[in-house]
Amino acid sequence: MLPRKRAGEGEVVEGESENNNNSNNIKDIAVTSPIKKHRFSAAAAADLTANNNTVAIGNNSSNHSSGSVLEPTIMAPGDANHNDIDEDLHSRQLAVYGRETMRLLFASNILISGMNGLGAEIAKNLILAGVKSVTLHDEGVVELWDLSSNFVFSENDVGKNRALASVQKLQELNNAVVISTLTTKLTKQQLSHFQAVVFTDISLEKAFEFDDYCHNHRPPISFIKTEVRGLFGSVFCDFGPEFTVFDVDGEDPHTGIIASISNDNPALVSCVDDERLEFQDGDLVVFSEVHGMTELNDGKPRKIKSARPYSFTLEEDTTNFGTYFKGGIVTQVKQPKVLNFKPLREALKDPGDFLLSDFSKFDHPPILHIAFQALDKFVSELGRFPVAGSEEDAQKLTSIAANVNECLGEGKIEDINPKLLRHFSFGSRAVLNPMAAMFGGIVGQEVVKACSGKFHPLFQFFYFDSVESLPAEPLDPSDFKPLNSRYDAQISVFGSKLQKKLEDSKVFIVGSGALGCEFLKNVALMGVSCGSQGKLTITDDDVIEKSNLSRQFLFRDWNIGQAKSTVAASAAASINPQLKIEALQNRVGPETENVFNDTFWENLTVVINALDNVNARLYVDQRCLYFQKPLLESGTLGAKCNTQMVIPHLTENYGASRDPPEKQAPMCTVHSFPHNIDHCLTWARSEFEGLLEKTPAEVNAYLSNPVEYAASMRDAGDAQAKDNLERILECLDREKCETFQDCVAWARLRFEDYFVNRVKQLIYTFPEDAATSTGAPFWSAPKRFPHPLQFSSTDPSHLHFIMAASILRAETFGIAVPDQVKNPKMLAEAIENVIVPDFQPKEGVKINTDEKDTSLSTASVNDEAMINELFYKLELCKNNLPSGFRLKPIQFEKDDDTNYHMDLIAALANMRARNYSIPEVDKLKAKFIAGRIIPAIATSTAMATGLVCLELYKVLDGAHKVEDYRNTFANLALPLFSMAEPVPPKVMKHREMSWTVWDRWILRDNPTLRELIQWLKDKGLNAYSISYGSCLLFNSMFPKHKERLDKKVVDVAREVAKAELPPYRSHLDVVVACEDDEDNDIDIPQISIYYR
Amino acid sequence: MSSPSKRREMDLMKLMMSDYKVEMINDGMQEFYVEFNGPKESPYHGGVWKIRVELPDAYPYKSPSIGFVNKIYHPNVDEMSGSVCLDVINQTWSPMFDLVNVFEVFLPQLLLYPNPSDPLNGEAAALMMRDRTAYEQRVKEYCEKYAKPEDVGAAPEEKSSDEELSEDEYAASDDEEIAGKPDP
Repeated sequence: MLPRKRAGEGEVVEGESENNNNSNNIKDIAVTSPIKKHRFSAAAAADLTANNNTVAIGNNSSNHSSGSVLEPTIMAPGDANHNDIDEDLHSRQLAVYGRETMRLLFASNILISGMNGLGAEIAKNLILAGVKSVTLHDEGVVELWDLSSNFVFSENDVGKNRALASVQKLQELNNAVVISTLTTKLTKQQLSHFQAVVFTDISLEKAFEFDDYCHNHRPPISFIKTEVRGLFGSVFCDFGPEFTVFDVDGEDPHTGIIASISNDNPALVSCVDDERLEFQDGDLVVFSEVHGMTELNDGKPRKIKSARPYSFTLEEDTTNFGTYFKGGIVTQVKQPKVLNFKPLREALKDPGDFLLSDFSKFDHPPILHIAFQALDKFVSELGRFPVAGSEEDAQKLTSIAANVNECLGEGKIEDINPKLLRHFSFGSRAVLNPMAAMFGGIVGQEVVKACSGKFHPLFQFFYFDSVESLPAEPLDPSDFKPLNSRYDAQISVFGSKLQKKLEDSKVFIVGSGALGCEFLKNVALMGVSCGSQGKLTITDDDVIEKSNLSRQFLFRDWNIGQAKSTVAASAAASINPQLKIEALQNRVGPETENVFNDTFWENLTVVINALDNVNARLYVDQRCLYFQKPLLESGTLGAKCNTQMVIPHLTENYGASRDPPEKQAPMCTVHSFPHNIDHCLTWARSEFEGLLEKTPAEVNAYLSNPVEYAASMRDAGDAQAKDNLERILECLDREKCETFQDCVAWARLRFEDYFVNRVKQLIYTFPEDAATSTGAPFWSAPKRFPHPLQFSSTDPSHLHFIMAASILRAETFGIAVPDQVKNPKMLAEAIENVIVPDFQPKEGVKINTDEKDTSLSTASVNDEAMINELFYKLELCKNNLPSGFRLKPIQFEKDDDTNYHMDLIAALANMRARNYSIPEVDKLKAKFIAGRIIPAIATSTAMATGLVCLELYKVLDGAHKVEDYRNTFANLALPLFSMAEPVPPKVMKHREMSWTVWDRWILRDNPTLRELIQWLKDKGLNAYSISYGSCLLFNSMFPKHKERLDKKVVDVAREVAKAELPPYRSHLDVVVACEDDEDNDIDIPQISIYYR
Repeated sequence: MSSPSKRREMDLMKLMMSDYKVEMINDGMQEFYVEFNGPKESPYHGGVWKIRVELPDAYPYKSPSIGFVNKIYHPNVDEMSGSVCLDVINQTWSPMFDLVNVFEVFLPQLLLYPNPSDPLNGEAAALMMRDRTAYEQRVKEYCEKYAKPEDVGAAPEEKSSDEELSEDEYAASDDEEIAGKPDP
C-alpha cells in the first residue's frame, strides 16, 4: 500500500528503508558492491533532489502511516513483501518476466567489454531492465568514427576513454543500477565478480582464454561474445556445462476444462468446445477438481499424446479408476530444461546447427562462421581492419577464409561465396547503428536469460547479414572515402551518395513511445533528416508516465507529465545536433487533417509508424496508400516483435492482411457464469465504471439541468431510462453518503449484494440440480456452481474490499477519509455498526401461472408512469441538497498504485472468484489483466527498430526491388527470427486493364453522377453504389437517389455527406461498387473526381 | 476479398435486395436499423422487431453489433439493453459472414432455438427450462405488448411520426428529415 519509489532516489530511500526494513535496497547495494571502480551518481542524484522532496511531501500527506510500523495496515492478499520491486516503474516488464525473474535480475552483476555502439546498446537495455550493476570496460578512446552508432557519445567526447565517456548518460537511465568502469587490461580473475560477461570486440585468442575460465568457474559465469561488422553480425553464448532453463518459452501454462474422461488404457480426455486446446504431444499435465475419477486429482504430472483441438489421450490406465462424473480442470506443467553448452574452443570447431533467420539465405551462416574467424586472423596479422573499397584487402580476407575452410576437414563447405566475403571485408570496420540496435536487443535478452533462466538461450551461434541493405547500384571505391564526419563509419559501408539521401529525407515518425524513442535515436545517429533539406516530424499526444521510463529511454524522472514528443525530440537533438526535428502533440486521425494536410503528406519521403494500436496503424496506412508514401511498420508484444514494409506499388498495404480481432468473453459468461479470473476482472471493471464513473456522471447530468435531463429520459421512456433514474435516486436518497461511516455502510451493503444476495438469487433460479429442457444438468462445464460468501470482519480480503470501496465512495461524495480506515480493527468496528437486512429471493420466476399475467402487467407496464414517479422523488431529494452539490466521477487509472482503483477492482474480482471457486490473483496480476497492460521490454523494442532501420536504407536508396525488402517476425524468448520477402499487392484485372490497391482512377471536368456512371459503363463496369466516406451518394436500390443523377458529384457530396472541402483542394475521392456484365463484383480503385 | 468499405456497401445492398426494410440514418453506412420478423413455428411469430446494426470500423473483420430496440422476452437477449448473447455474432464471427446471414440465419435460429444454458435473461431461461408453455405464453405477451408493427414504425430515437414508413419513404425521407430537423 505504501507508495513505492524508484530505489536510489536520494532521501526517499531512507524513509522507505525505515518503513520496510528492506535489505534489497540501493544503499546496501552501494555499500556491499564489490565493484565500485568508478561510481557515478552524485550529479544525477543532486538533480533529482528538488523533485523528490515535493514527491515525498505529497506522499506523506496522503499516507500518514509512513514512519510508524506499529499499526498493521490492510494489504491485499499476496501484496506483502513486494517492495523490492518498483512496480510502477517496471509494470510493463514485470508483465513479461514475473517477479522471480526480476528479483534475479536485481541481483546480477554484468560486465560489458567494448563500448562501441553495440556495447552502448547492450548496456542501455540491461540498465533499463534494472540489473544490480553494470561494469563497462574499454581501453580505447572515443573516435569520430564511433559517432555513427554510439548514442552516448558526442563530438566533445572524442579522445576520452570510451567507458568513462559512457558512464554519465547510461547512469541517467536508471539510478538504481550501479555503473562502474574498467579502463585497463582485463584479467580473467576479474571476471569472477560477474554473473554474465559480454564482449563486443575481443580477439578469438583472448575469447578462448576468458571463456575457458568462465566455463570452468564454479558456479559458471555466462559468457557472450558478439560482434557487428558492417551489415554482418554474430553472437556466441556459453552459459556453462549445465545450465537450467526454467521457462523455455515465456507462455502461460495451457489449460482446459474437462467434459469427460474414459475408463480406458490409455484414457481419452475430452474438453468443452469453448476454446481450442493448445497442448502438444509429450506435454505434462496435472488435474484438479475432477468429480468421480478422483484418482486424477493427486497432483501427479501425467504425459499426454494424440493432442487434438478438444481432446487428448493420457498415458494412464484408468480402467479401475472411479467413473468420471463431472468437473475438472487440466493444466500444463512446464518442465525445466537443462542445456549443456560447449566452450567456445570446442564449439567453434563443431558449431552444430546455426540459428537461421532467413530461409532465402540458408547457406550464409556457415560462410559467416568462417568469415568472422578469417577477419579475426586478418586483424591479428595486419593489426588493422580491411579498408572499405579495397579489393586487395577483400581478396586477402577471402584467401584467409579459404584456408580456414580447408582446415575444417569434413565440415568444409562447398562455396565460401567470395562476393559475400567482399561485402563483409569492405564494411568490417564499421559499427552501424541499426545493426547495433538489433544485436543490442538480442544480446541484452541473452544476458537476462543467463541471469534468470527465463526463456530459452541462444544455443550457441547466431549469424546474420543484411547485404540487401546496400545500395542497389554498385558503388565506386571513392564513394566510401571518409569525409571526416560523424557518419564516416556509415559512409564506409553505404557510400556518401546514400548518406546525402538520408540527410535530405523528410521523415514522419508517428508516435513517441517506446518504439518512437528508439527510432529517434537511430535516425539521429544515421543522420536521417540531418541535412539542410531534411526534416523530421514526430507527433504524439501523450504525456510521460513513470511506467514509461523502463524502456522509453529518452525520458527521465523529471520529465514525468511533460509531452512525450517534445522531450524525445530535444533528447534526440542532443544525440545529434544536426537533426532537423519538429515535435507535435497531435493524434494522427481524421480530426487532425488540418494539421497533417495534403501538403504535409505530399512532401514526405517516408513514414515510420511507432504506434501501439491497430486503428491508428490502419489510418496511417490509408494515408500512405493515398499519398503513395512508403510506410515502415513495427510492433512488439513482450519478447516478440514484428516489422512490415509497405512500399508503394511493390508490396501490399498494412490493412490488406489482418489478425483476427481479440476474442472477448461472451456477455452471459461475464454476467453470471464466470469460469476464470479474466471473466471476474472484466465484470469488476464494468462494475467499477458503473458505480464510480457512470452513476456519479448521471447524477451530475441530472443536477446540472434537471429539466433537460427529464425531457431526454421521458423521450427515451424505456427500461434503460428507468434504470438510470433508479440509480440516481439511490445515490441521492437511500444510499446518500454524508459521513465516512455512511460510505462504510454502503460498501458493506455492496458486498452483501454482490457476493451474497445475487448469488443466492442465481442459485435460487438455477438450483444445483437444475436441468435443461433436454435433461442435461444446467450447471455443467464450463459453468461453475457458485456459493454465497459469509461476510467476516476477520477476513483480510473482505476488509480490503470494504476499505477500497468506502474510500472511493467517499471520494465521489467529497468526504474526507479518516486514517483509521487502514487499521483493520477500527474498520471492523465501523462495519459492525452496519445493519444488513436478510435476503429474500425474488419469486417472480417461480412458475405460478395465475400470478404471471399480473406480474407482467405490473412489472413492465408502465415504464412511463414509473419514470414520472421517479422524477417526483428526485425533485424532493434535490431540494434537500446544498446548491451546487455535485458528485465526483472517478475514471479508472491503472498506473497509480495509491489511488485504490486497482485495490477495488482486484477485491471485486477476487470475491467473485471466491464465489465461483476460481483461483484468486494478486493485485499486480489483476492490474495486468484488468488494465490490459501490454507486456513490453526494451530488448525487443530496440531490435524491432534496428530491423526497420536496415529497411530504411533500402527505402531511401529508392532503387530496390521487392525481393530486397524483408518483413520480420521474431521472438527473443525462443529465440526465433523469421524474415521473409513482403507480399506483393494483389493485381486486379478487367478487360485490358489491371490495377492494384496503390492505383487511383481520375475523372476530370466536374462530372455529374450520371456522367460518372456512364464513364464506368464505357469500361464495361456497371456501378450500383457510390459512396463518399461512410456516406452513400447513390445506390440503385433507392428510387429517390435517381433524382440526384444529374447533380454534380461534388454537390451531392456536399449536400448528403456534408463534405467539407478545403478551398485548396480540387478533387474528392469516391468509392464505387460495380459489377461487370456477368454480374461479378469488380473491386475497382478509388476514383478522384476533379471539380475545379 | 473486396476492400472493407466496399464490403459495407455490398452487404447492405444484399440485405435490401433480400427484401429487408433498412432504415438508414442520413445515408450513413455505419449504423442503421433493420426490421426483423419473428420466425414462423416459433412463439415469436407475428412479432416485429427493430434491430439496431452498427458496423464497426474494422467490419467485416470485426463482428457487427446487433441489438433489439423494442423489448423481447428471450433467454439470450438482455431485457434491458436488447444486447444479444450469440456466439456467431460475437466470439465466432468470421469475415466470411455477412448481414444477410445475420438476418436470414443467425437471428431466426436464435429465436427458434433459444439456449437457456447460457442465459443473459436468467428469468426467461429458468422459465423456459421449467415450464415451456408458460414461457411461450410470456413470449407472446411480450410480442403483443412491445413488438407489433407499429412499435417498429415509431422509432424512439430517429422518428417522431407514428406512421409506418415504407422502404422507399425511409430512403427518400432522409434529406428532408435533416432539413426539417432542428439541431439537437
